[in-house]
Amino acid sequence: MASAPLYILLCSGEHEKIQMAAMMASVGAVSERPVEVFVSMNAIFAFAKGRGPDERYHGGAFSRALKEKRAPDAVTLFGQGKELGDLKMWACSMALDVQGWEMDALEDGLFDGPLGLTKFLSDAENGQFVTL
Amino acid sequence: MADQVLDAKGLNCPLPILKAKKALKDVPMGGTLQVIATDPGAVKDFEAFCRTTGNELMESKEDDKVFSFLIKRTS
Repeated sequence: MASAPLYILLCSGEHEKIQMAAMMASVGAVSERPVEVFVSMNAIFAFAKGRGPDERYHGGAFSRALKEKRAPDAVTLFGQGKELGDLKMWACSMALDVQGWEMDALEDGLFDGPLGLTKFLSDAENGQFVTL
Repeated sequence: MADQVLDAKGLNCPLPILKAKKALKDVPMGGTLQVIATDPGAVKDFEAFCRTTGNELMESKEDDKVFSFLIKRTS
């Protein structure tokens, strides 16, 4: 059964929002719904290569609970979504430029490439759009 | 008797669904997967998962907060 593609604009560096984006993206993908995630602003830091959970995720009370209860790691969930479904992840080209990063600064195997916001918004015209 | 059994007890959302999707890849078309879970959201989650993926939820039951789902792979 075909569902409208899901487009997630992930800007926040808050652990709770990154976790929700990862849950939505992975569940959408395994439910045979195409999903695209555009990562920009503070969210890009969570995907820097080689960071552990404490460095990667910053948030409030719920973030602490997620870590204490060993909830599924957000970056791992994104990876599982890619492995099991049609999930594409894009790194905001502006965010990369501002940070002076190339794609190899980001976790391996997650991103499909850099992308501009105009292209992402254009692609998202016929899907469901969520901002976190 | 299911062709495969997935023990997802103690796993939080969305891991039971993700693991079920992965396990279904190894189930032959027309075969069955039994998923055992304790996530209280799993009942509605597996109903929605089967509806959207086109697989058949043949059975859904609970026994003392342990849920069991029998899924027939049809897609």
